[in-house]
Amino acid sequence: MSEARTHTVTISAPLAPETPCVHCGLPVGPRPVLATSEGDSLPSAFCCTGCRVVSEALGAAGLGETYYRLRGVATSTRTVSPGGERPAKSDALQLAELDTEAFLAQHTTEAAEGLRRTQLFLDGVHCAACVWLVERLPFEMDGVAEAVLDLPRARLSLTFDAEAVQLSEVGRWLARFGYAARPMRTEASGQRTEAERKLLVRLGVAWALAGNVMLLAFAFYAGLDAEADATMAAFARWVSLALAIPAVAYGAAPFFQRAWASTRLAWRARDPRRLHIDTPIALGIGVGTLHSAWATVSGQGEVWFDSITVLIAALLTARWLQLRSRRLAGDASERLLSLLPSMVRRVSDSGETVVARLDELARGETVEVPAGEVIPVDGIVTRGESQLNNAVLTGESRPVPVAQGDAIEAGATNLVTPLHVRVEATGEATRVGRLLKWVRDEEGRKARVVLLADRLSGYFALSVLSLAALTAVVWTFLGTPSVAAQHVVALLVITCPCAIGMATPLAMAVAAGRAARGGIFLKSDAATQRLTEADTLVLDKTGTLTEGRMTLVETVAAEGVAAAAALDLAAVLEADVVHPIATALVAARGCPGQRAEGVEAEAGQGVRGIVDGHAVVVGRPSWVWAQRGEASQASADAALADAVERFAEAGHTPVAIALDGQLAAVCAIGDRLRDDALAVLRTLDAAGLTIYLCSGDHPAAVAAVARTLGIPTERAHGGVAPEAKRAAVEALQAEGQVVVMVGDGVNDAAALRAADVGVAVGGGSTASLVAADVFLTRPGLAPLAEAFAGTRHTLGVVRRNLGISLVYNVGGAAAAMLGLVTPLVAAVAMPISSLLVVASSILQRSFPNEPGNGRAGEPAHSVSPTPRLAVS
Amino acid sequence: MAVLYVLIPLALVLAGAGVLAFRWAVRSGQFDDVETPALRMLIDEEGMLTNDDRASTRS
Repeated sequence: MSEARTHTVTISAPLAPETPCVHCGLPVGPRPVLATSEGDSLPSAFCCTGCRVVSEALGAAGLGETYYRLRGVATSTRTVSPGGERPAKSDALQLAELDTEAFLAQHTTEAAEGLRRTQLFLDGVHCAACVWLVERLPFEMDGVAEAVLDLPRARLSLTFDAEAVQLSEVGRWLARFGYAARPMRTEASGQRTEAERKLLVRLGVAWALAGNVMLLAFAFYAGLDAEADATMAAFARWVSLALAIPAVAYGAAPFFQRAWASTRLAWRARDPRRLHIDTPIALGIGVGTLHSAWATVSGQGEVWFDSITVLIAALLTARWLQLRSRRLAGDASERLLSLLPSMVRRVSDSGETVVARLDELARGETVEVPAGEVIPVDGIVTRGESQLNNAVLTGESRPVPVAQGDAIEAGATNLVTPLHVRVEATGEATRVGRLLKWVRDEEGRKARVVLLADRLSGYFALSVLSLAALTAVVWTFLGTPSVAAQHVVALLVITCPCAIGMATPLAMAVAAGRAARGGIFLKSDAATQRLTEADTLVLDKTGTLTEGRMTLVETVAAEGVAAAAALDLAAVLEADVVHPIATALVAARGCPGQRAEGVEAEAGQGVRGIVDGHAVVVGRPSWVWAQRGEASQASADAALADAVERFAEAGHTPVAIALDGQLAAVCAIGDRLRDDALAVLRTLDAAGLTIYLCSGDHPAAVAAVARTLGIPTERAHGGVAPEAKRAAVEALQAEGQVVVMVGDGVNDAAALRAADVGVAVGGGSTASLVAADVFLTRPGLAPLAEAFAGTRHTLGVVRRNLGISLVYNVGGAAAAMLGLVTPLVAAVAMPISSLLVVASSILQRSFPNEPGNGRAGEPAHSVSPTPRLAVS
Repeated sequence: MAVLYVLIPLALVLAGAGVLAFRWAVRSGQFDDVETPALRMLIDEEGMLTNDDRASTRS
């Protein structure tokens, strides 16, 4: 791409469909977009016009060469791309928000003199080349002082001079290369970063203290004789004590806090099973420290400082790893919190359109919504006639016609022509807003799932305490009270459940990391565990079982007509029409490169025009029927009419094509089932799950899908409103079932939150990701089956870890009761049990990443470096 | 062994300095993203790949 000038050419030599696109590396498919740069013999092949435009923009800016050299180097496999397969799209309105005073005041901070700093989410970044390209911003634009990209979290920190450059210009520059910048609206990720940093500092301090205490302890183990050199021994003990105090008071503070809280809870409930795993940990640390401190002061008895400090550091490490492994999942759901536009086009009384912030809008005002944009408010259409895609709200993917006087809801997409809408409700008062609010409020209220280790810890604490009492009694009887005290402390220290405390967080953290690499994001340990206990699966249809967009499913041509030719002509006619059916036709045939003349569209009916000398009519069968000429043959009509009926029964939208006044073909446009749906459902069924289908779509379409997938009709429900979905999930739960809900739209959000485990699939909508406990960024249903298998395996690892820890603890307790445990024994035995648990966690094989498996999990753009065709 | 009375406090001072340095590094955000900097070192106008390497990545 050294030459900026390229022009599109059509060549007759066919290109293999699997040829990689020059820009993104995906196969170019049957209809590549070709471009030849001057002085280049071979044309470059692209998969789509978007890729060609980006590639040319790179060339024109003189950035192409380095970009393509770095492309594919260290491709990030874990970047969450919420759009799924869809390319990132920048919205002019969203960019406009970046320039407002309110945004600058709320979301930017003062950096150096005259400079401001802000953070933006950047969709579409995925590899080293993106880092390079984005970080070139300061060189390309005046006024940008610094641009730092955090690739795994897709965050751009920007330091800029608000006087010299507008953020929207930066956004447009990024958009040229296919990156969509979004304002970061919430503080949650900042808070998370802060919490992570705090824990990391705690961790660093804990290890530094533990290391030094260990060094001093080694002196004793190596033979420092307290009798031969009493001063030195006392000195070493006092220094250890001084180091252990901050380790316990600062490092172990979180354990004490949680232990205290759970003890109070257990006391109030009179139920020792409520005790958290941190209770026995805190007990061991506390008793060990007090005893050792007393031994130091009195100069008699054993000290356990080394074991205690190492224990604290190891436990903090496990907690930190756990926190870190969750952050990608948390970030992603936050990134998507921008479902509703925050900027609107307000129509003033004089008829002018002004861009304004949504929160400035009052009831009764009018906003304009151009075709292709999301409706920002609940309201009444005052002008215009259009079709809406309500898929986000209802799951119904077929466009709905609206006209003046109709009530419409925020979240729907306007498809055809601009609309004027009188505002009835904005923000949280809209139906979507209320749904999202409910989901947010419910966040903290979901019943806490008792993790396996916690279930164990109550019994564990009780048995340790009773063993301690037994030891005290027996040794007081056999020896002296001071010997008994020694052994009791030894027992409490050696059984301090370090390994048990690490067993769950480590195994879960490693599993979450492995799962994320395969496009499965587990937001919590509870969800991981709950997924293995599930017995009922409720599936949404649109976008979950199906692809969620209109595609060409089947074509039946009249006798003597080539279906492909008829479709080509129809595709040309529909090329410039914004309508899901038109898009489906064009997507099915590619863009043949011809142009239609005299295109006339009749709203809700169809389109007619002249293509290549043929009069072409495409549209609703009844309308096309009425348009056909005299020459039409009755027999062909009958065959096609049968096909139309069959398509309608299967829940598809029939579309008829007439050429030169003669019916040529009918095709079914519908939401196609995902290729792997049947296989995955069979696997899940075999795993013992009862499968329900619950969709907002038309009952006939739902029944058709259920028939295909072999789901009994009584378990397939169509026409279910979002609130009813939630009720359905709650009803199943009331029957005592553990329900997993799988869905993708806002309409599923409430149900996802209500279910024991909510799974959002395939780069679903904002709300579903926020509400879900697990989300899958890989297209298709295969990751769903993997999530079930993987979590089952992970729980196996957790059990194995707990088993190892218990064996160690039983052995340790027995040894301590026999009086065999000395500080040296504890210092050796404790790390060994922890190491076994660490090894068992790290070597686990859940969520296997087979070759090809991980690849498919990446966002569509990140494909391994493939040989590129004619990049120059 | 009297030297230990000096050496141990000295070791502690060094450890304290290490902890302070670590705290500074964490607070200035150096551990927030440990993946991108690894890529950033590949990015250099002179480039990491030689022309020969580049030729071999093309078909």
